Amino acid sequence: MKMTRASGTLITYALGSCVGICLYDPMIKLAALIHIMLPLNMEAGRKNPMKYADTGIRETLKEMEGKGARKQRIVAKIAGGAKMFDVSGGGSLGTIGQRNIDSVHLVLKREGIRLLHEDVGGTVARTLLFDAETGTAIVRSYGKPEIVF
Amino acid sequence: MKNFDELNVLELDTIREIGSIGTGNAATALSGMLGCEVKITLPEVRIMGYNEAIEWIGGPEAITAGVLVRLSGEINGIMLSVQHLKFVNLVLEHLVQRTVEDYSDLQDLEKSALVEVGNIMISTFVTALSQLAGITVKLTVPCFAVDMQGAILSVPMVEFGGQSDYIMTIGADFICGGSVVPCRLLLSPDVFSLNFLLRKLGILDE
Repeated sequence: MKMTRASGTLITYALGSCVGICLYDPMIKLAALIHIMLPLNMEAGRKNPMKYADTGIRETLKEMEGKGARKQRIVAKIAGGAKMFDVSGGGSLGTIGQRNIDSVHLVLKREGIRLLHEDVGGTVARTLLFDAETGTAIVRSYGKPEIVF
Repeated sequence: MKNFDELNVLELDTIREIGSIGTGNAATALSGMLGCEVKITLPEVRIMGYNEAIEWIGGPEAITAGVLVRLSGEINGIMLSVQHLKFVNLVLEHLVQRTVEDYSDLQDLEKSALVEVGNIMISTFVTALSQLAGITVKLTVPCFAVDMQGAILSVPMVEFGGQSDYIMTIGADFICGGSVVPCRLLLSPDVFSLNFLLRKLGILDE
């Protein structure tokens, strides 16, 4: 998880089935970017909460509030959750992206965070850039034009 | 149960030997397919965090082709053949007498040739491994993707991310016609299978 205030660009590279979540409080221009890999934290020791959608989002919201953000103002933009390989008989391998997206949606809804825009699913990897000054997100992928939202 | 970062020198050495035998067999198969001499570099075993693994393979956003096969049966894991453009052209030159400037030039026939070469190398590697340890391993049909290598490498990371923050890769580069051709064959077993494998080979220090 990375965080910055008022200036600078946060970036997370090559999101495959992972999901990048931009959280932004426009009033104080506090921006956070999380890169989650898995939908649910079932780790006993909880050594690495930022790896999971549920604990990652909650911990980040807590840290943002500690820096003066208000939950009611925080908005979200997400990208990622692609299906990199189409494995026949691969079990959970092909569905993890979709499960990550679903989990992020659910956690954001439960926390009362508004989801402004998303670019999710599909089969291509994405690099996500998030500008702390304007709250604009840019998605770069291979062989496709940039998406700005 | 040992995690990747808790392995001792003997255990790592054994895994390196598996990598050596597997990659050697794969190189023989490749040599047969291409009809030229193929050597391998000294195989490496690396236990890395996600970010370290991405840097090692050449940065997250570089585009690469990947052939992926899933292992099941007595051991679970993922095997990847990461094919850089130089390797792609080496294969295509010998098999379909055509080379490409960029991955986006790949037609169906060329993709199919790459998948098959990847599949044969992976299968040879796994056959060598299963004979060595006396285990049965099942393989899925290979699948293919051309995309940012960070995302391709994240597939085994995500799959086993619930068990460990580390990924183990076993692999080597090929040397063909005097120049090093990077084609990394990467075997990523899950933690349980790694322990099972080491126990089966009689060297797990519990």
